[in-house]
Amino acid sequence: MVSQIGSLVLSLAGILSLFNFFLFVLYKHSNDQRYLQVIERSLLSQSFCIIFSNLCLLNELLVSNFNLQYVAQYSSYETPLFFKMTALWAGQAGSLLFWSSITSLYAIFFILCTLKKIPSIKNISFLMLNVILAFFLMLNNFIANPFEPVSSDIIVSNGNGLNPLLQNVTMAIHPPTLYFGFIGTTIIFVMAIAGLMSNELSIKWIYSIRKWSLFTWTFLTAGIILGGYWAYNELGWGGYWAWDPVENSSLMPWLLLTAFIHTIIIQERKGILKSWNFFLASGSFILVILGTFITRSGIISSVHSFTAESLGPIFFAFLILLFLISLGTYFVNKSKLIVNDKIESIKSREGGFLINNFLLVIMCFTIIWGTLFPILSEAWNDEKIHIGQSYFNALNIPLGILLLILMGMGPLLSWGNTSGESIVKKFKTPTLFSFAFGSAYLILYLNKFDFYVFLTLIGIVFTSTAIVTEFYRIFLKHRKSSSFFHSILSTFVRNRHRSGGYIVHIGLTLMFVGFIGKAFETEKEFSLKPGEEIYFSNYIFKLNDITSEARGNHFAFISDFDIISSSNNFIGKLYPEKRVYFYWNSDPEQRQPHSELDINSNLSKDIYSIFSSYDAEKNVGFFKIMINPLVSWVWIGSIIMILGAILAFWPTGSRNGNI
Amino acid sequence: MNKFYITLILSMMLVISWTIYLTQYDERNLSSVKYFTVSELSDNVSPINKMKLGGRILPESIKINPDNLLEVSFYVYDAENTVLVEYNGIRPDLFKDDAEVVVTGSYSDNRIIAEDLQTKCASRYEGDLKNKSSI
Repeated sequence: MVSQIGSLVLSLAGILSLFNFFLFVLYKHSNDQRYLQVIERSLLSQSFCIIFSNLCLLNELLVSNFNLQYVAQYSSYETPLFFKMTALWAGQAGSLLFWSSITSLYAIFFILCTLKKIPSIKNISFLMLNVILAFFLMLNNFIANPFEPVSSDIIVSNGNGLNPLLQNVTMAIHPPTLYFGFIGTTIIFVMAIAGLMSNELSIKWIYSIRKWSLFTWTFLTAGIILGGYWAYNELGWGGYWAWDPVENSSLMPWLLLTAFIHTIIIQERKGILKSWNFFLASGSFILVILGTFITRSGIISSVHSFTAESLGPIFFAFLILLFLISLGTYFVNKSKLIVNDKIESIKSREGGFLINNFLLVIMCFTIIWGTLFPILSEAWNDEKIHIGQSYFNALNIPLGILLLILMGMGPLLSWGNTSGESIVKKFKTPTLFSFAFGSAYLILYLNKFDFYVFLTLIGIVFTSTAIVTEFYRIFLKHRKSSSFFHSILSTFVRNRHRSGGYIVHIGLTLMFVGFIGKAFETEKEFSLKPGEEIYFSNYIFKLNDITSEARGNHFAFISDFDIISSSNNFIGKLYPEKRVYFYWNSDPEQRQPHSELDINSNLSKDIYSIFSSYDAEKNVGFFKIMINPLVSWVWIGSIIMILGAILAFWPTGSRNGNI
Repeated sequence: MNKFYITLILSMMLVISWTIYLTQYDERNLSSVKYFTVSELSDNVSPINKMKLGGRILPESIKINPDNLLEVSFYVYDAENTVLVEYNGIRPDLFKDDAEVVVTGSYSDNRIIAEDLQTKCASRYEGDLKNKSSI
């Protein structure tokens, strides 16, 4: 019953969006504001319908209504309650409906908050929102309907269950976080188009779009990082980033959005770079759709893509449509974007932002090219090519290091033009520090010299010193007029855009500390019997025992390792497991093996262990151990980055800068 | 300021051409790896530095070295030809007769020294519900 209601409400939303197009024609014809009011209400009800129908699907998952194809495919009676909920976005149809719901949620806030403040962009915003919602409603209703019943000739007694890889708390929050980030770009796109069409690139508009982009950016960043965290802790290839097409598709819009967040500040201050910002804003949504196209069309095989269910052509068509909309909007309104002011000097904050944009956009290009090249190559001359990680590293490591150094230089530059005197004064401390650390590295590690590590180290020292001295300078300024604790508070709370931004930069700098560790990773694969030990990378790994245990939904072989240092000190234990899900199934093809890894982690290194397989006859386990230096810093940096971003978009209250 | 923009555009063009160069398939360029089928390899007599091969494991051809259980050799076949693969490392869970594999490594004399071995997983979580409805 609930599923019929859900399906019905979903169709109703579709009808409303068609009805809206009709209303737009009437509005255009008569210019009667009442039509706009009707459209507004219809858009709101459409959004509520979508969210309601998603709740219906959630209900069906929770009560295990296996009459629905989707429910039967992604959950089972054994699936724990929490993961029945996450099955909402585990499959194609469900995740698309989930996508529509988040769009709706954003649309509601956008209509009720942002558009109340900037009513002049209402008409175009409504039109764009309706186009986007109509597209997703078409997918939800006709192409991937999660309320599709199972075919009448079979009776499903129990569902397939959720993939054990996805039964992990990180995996439960990673997709929705990422979705909130991806879908936030919808509003940025709508605002960019509507702002330009309605000639409303006012300071009010800038404040709003900046709020939205900071909010979106925070979720996108958190989503990408959680994805890496999940891969590192669950997938068992020992890394957090592999330049996989799906990872790349989340990084592409992130890079453009990051660029946008910086140059919108120049537009706010000086009223320039309007066209550039327009392309960054609309481009980030287009790249989100491009990424979705890559992930869902099945043209690229990847660890986490959805398998082919011919959504490729439809997403491609939508991509072209969005592209034409933004190009069209640009060319029709080009005259409104002409500005007289220009950037005075490269030695200025805005000059720094421009170089930062250049680096980010170039990185984005290299990633798009590397991701799409295999498709283009196959289409062009039928050659199947794999673009390896070395391609992405060769380009993005140097570009990333330049960005890191620039991140330290930016805050030291003044708006307009920086005098030579000021440059000497402000660059002195960071330069001295990085010089000292650089020479120390050269002296200590000359035999293992690595150019990129050297440069990254200098970048990290320079940037962190620069930001810390900058904070200190702000603190001293406040100290003149207030107490010690009060000035510490003011340093961070006054001008939150700035202090939040600096904290994000410190977080990113710390992440680079973790990236350095990549250069020193080592690994070993071996087989071992209980009682035996192996020496690797200055540690002794002693396998005490392999035990087995039948648990709720799987069977586990549990290994028990002691880590002993070369000086014979006990360091810790490792218990990597080999699990078999559905082990009761008589058909071995239906069982699902899974390696549950174990990590012994501290600030200097992670000892990462994987129990790959177990030969019960010979009582031999196959293991892989990796020493991954400095990985913890990636997670520490990430947390600081997210906290900084939250500080930056936290409403200031007094200013009219709220969403 | 104009000089600045020109520098920016020039460096952009430089990076773009470097990008495109890196993706061009070339014997010495290891960023871009070409996929082969077994038959395509058999037609090829010259050694290949780095390549990927897709195919199925020839049943009963898997030989594990009894002294080092990580060492394995097996044949990959397609409709017409076979090629020998040698691999030293942990084998994926679904590695068995007739499993679909992707091997990455170097090739010479109809033999591949693999550095990476992956099985294409027939995941129970995707695809048709009909034939597994009674689990």
